[in-house]
Amino acid sequence: MHALIQGLILGVLTGGVYALMASGQTLIFGIMKVVNLAQGAFVIASAYLAFTLFTRFGIDPFLAVLITTPLMFCIGAAGQWLFLRPLRRENAAELSLLVTFALALLIEGILSVTYSTTYRSINTGYANKSFEVAGYTVSAVRLYGFLLSIALLGLLYGVLQKTRFGRAIRATVQNPQSAALLGVDATRVQAYGFGLGISTAAASGSIFGLLYPFQSGSHYDLISRLLSVVVLGGLGSIGGAVLAGIAIGVVSSVAAVLWSPTWSEMSFFVVLLLVLLVRPQGMFGRVERGAV
Amino acid sequence: MYDNRLSFRTRNRLGLAAAAMGLMVSVSACSASATSSSSTSSTTLVIGVSLSLTGDFADPGKAVQRGYQVWADGVNAKGGILGRKVEMKIVDDLSSPNQVVTNYQNLISRDHVDLVFGPFSSLLTVPASQVANRYHYAFVESAGGGPKVFAQNLHSLFFVQPAPVVEQGNVFADYILSLPAGQRPKTAAYPSLDDPFAKPIADGVQKRFEAAGIKTVYSGTYPAETPDLTPIMAKIAAAKPDVIVSGTQSQDAYQQVKSLVQLHFNPRWLFMSNGANSPTEFPDKVGKGNTAGVFSAGDWFADSKAAGSADFVKAYIAKFGGTAAGIDNSSAEAYAAGQVIELIAKRTGRVDNQTIINSLHSGTWPTLLGDLSWNSVGAPQGSYQLVQWIGGALKPVFPASVAQAAAVVPKPNWAG
Repeated sequence: MHALIQGLILGVLTGGVYALMASGQTLIFGIMKVVNLAQGAFVIASAYLAFTLFTRFGIDPFLAVLITTPLMFCIGAAGQWLFLRPLRRENAAELSLLVTFALALLIEGILSVTYSTTYRSINTGYANKSFEVAGYTVSAVRLYGFLLSIALLGLLYGVLQKTRFGRAIRATVQNPQSAALLGVDATRVQAYGFGLGISTAAASGSIFGLLYPFQSGSHYDLISRLLSVVVLGGLGSIGGAVLAGIAIGVVSSVAAVLWSPTWSEMSFFVVLLLVLLVRPQGMFGRVERGAV
Repeated sequence: MYDNRLSFRTRNRLGLAAAAMGLMVSVSACSASATSSSSTSSTTLVIGVSLSLTGDFADPGKAVQRGYQVWADGVNAKGGILGRKVEMKIVDDLSSPNQVVTNYQNLISRDHVDLVFGPFSSLLTVPASQVANRYHYAFVESAGGGPKVFAQNLHSLFFVQPAPVVEQGNVFADYILSLPAGQRPKTAAYPSLDDPFAKPIADGVQKRFEAAGIKTVYSGTYPAETPDLTPIMAKIAAAKPDVIVSGTQSQDAYQQVKSLVQLHFNPRWLFMSNGANSPTEFPDKVGKGNTAGVFSAGDWFADSKAAGSADFVKAYIAKFGGTAAGIDNSSAEAYAAGQVIELIAKRTGRVDNQTIINSLHSGTWPTLLGDLSWNSVGAPQGSYQLVQWIGGALKPVFPASVAQAAAVVPKPNWAG
């Protein structure tokens, strides 16, 4: 029982980070109907940025978020402008899969050349610290990462709900034609929305780098998990992504504790399959229209 | 020693990049560039070798190259082998099992090299050794010790390391079972990476421990894709084993340690098959203070007293700079392959392929890896050294013949 509860705690904390990563992914889908296969690569690129800022300049990875987030926003917006905007006509959804995959490979290539393929990890002074709570261990990095993720998700929610830009995004998600008729510049919203989605990778990259060793090819495993989270939560639903992120963390962690690590990954996909059989649009997805 | 440690996942992930690179170089694949040209003559002894100088195995491949270079320079400074200057003809195989076949065919049938040494990794050694065997060449290799290499039943192959890689854990089992019954662990946990060079090591130890009455409280395998080992280590921590025997490669070893530190669980003994035996990477990844007391296995260490080790270290640093601690084991293992050839020439007065094959199937051959001997299929018959992190450095602690320090038990607490 002790191991099970410990697994639950780990799962919730890890799931919060997945939720942040996946929120950007699902936001991009909601706005553009683009399945961004480069989201994992952006997370890994952000982890490398945090690594460099920490090893070269001694900037704490959590503080580095203040630098990497606007940087990733700009890179994301520029990437959308350069690579996805030209696809907005027919077959854009299908072609965007190829384009974002190519973008992921491009990022991987740049990272491989810059950093080589050696695994890196960010080892801060508190990397191995943990707290004892009622006999259970809570890793400091996981706790800080979870809290940062929740804070950023709250901020993202606030931007979407309370700002003019957020309203424009939500309008574009729900009905692009009507939004355009009301004066929303869809091109600009898509570029900024893509940038916003990519900017969530900045914080999650910092946390990822603190939790796990990574190298340029680490995005392959990551993107498969992120896609699963997004599909489980419902394509385009940020709330769904948050719950699904926590679900993947908990199910994987508990399965590893109760049965076997081999079943850990499988168990999540079983849950995903069951949910999709009952609710093909995912837990919080809407049929045809986006959510957010 | 690191040849086999590259996980299949890493190979798969990098496969795409390797394939693209392979495509680009395919035009020139049939004549991969040689790093040193040569012409065979009776005054030179030309040794051909295909190494991974680019591609997935480029880093360890270059380390092997450095080992051969140091050996060739050293032997030439002493007048060569039987009066013949040694010339290494090294060609790049791009880490490709296809290119390595082409390379050895060219080295043997076109360039008519006198001898060949093996490539890097079991993946490349298997096809390369078949080519060499077809041409009746001896295949002395320092970096292909996986089960598939010996399963070929080649009489001409010799793996220049103390033992097959999967037997790495035997020395830890020997050490534990050498302790008085009252001092042995009562319970054990065996977390292993699902990898042909990791899991069999832990399995082998588990079998011997169970036969000796040590109760298994956890035995589990995790796939290479497992992002987080903390839940597994949490389950192990809850079972409170006296000893943890981990079948690890590298990243998973670091993750296991970090998880155990965070969980505040410190077993009396912790053995990790790989990862913990890296003198530079392990302290860098887990923190120097967290290395204390961790056991691993290895075949060569910079302060080894084995034959030729001091000369190798001195020559290596003179040629390439750096420190002794930074020398890759793969370089030392390659150097040992050269030592074996040198010894055969000294003992028999001959240095042809048939003499090498006949000679190495009997007797023992002192190298910087210790005294080596082989069975009929080229599997070495010795054992690895048990090493432990003591005072921030890896020290051989077992068997007694190579020990430089007494094993520290129980393992000191994590530094955090």
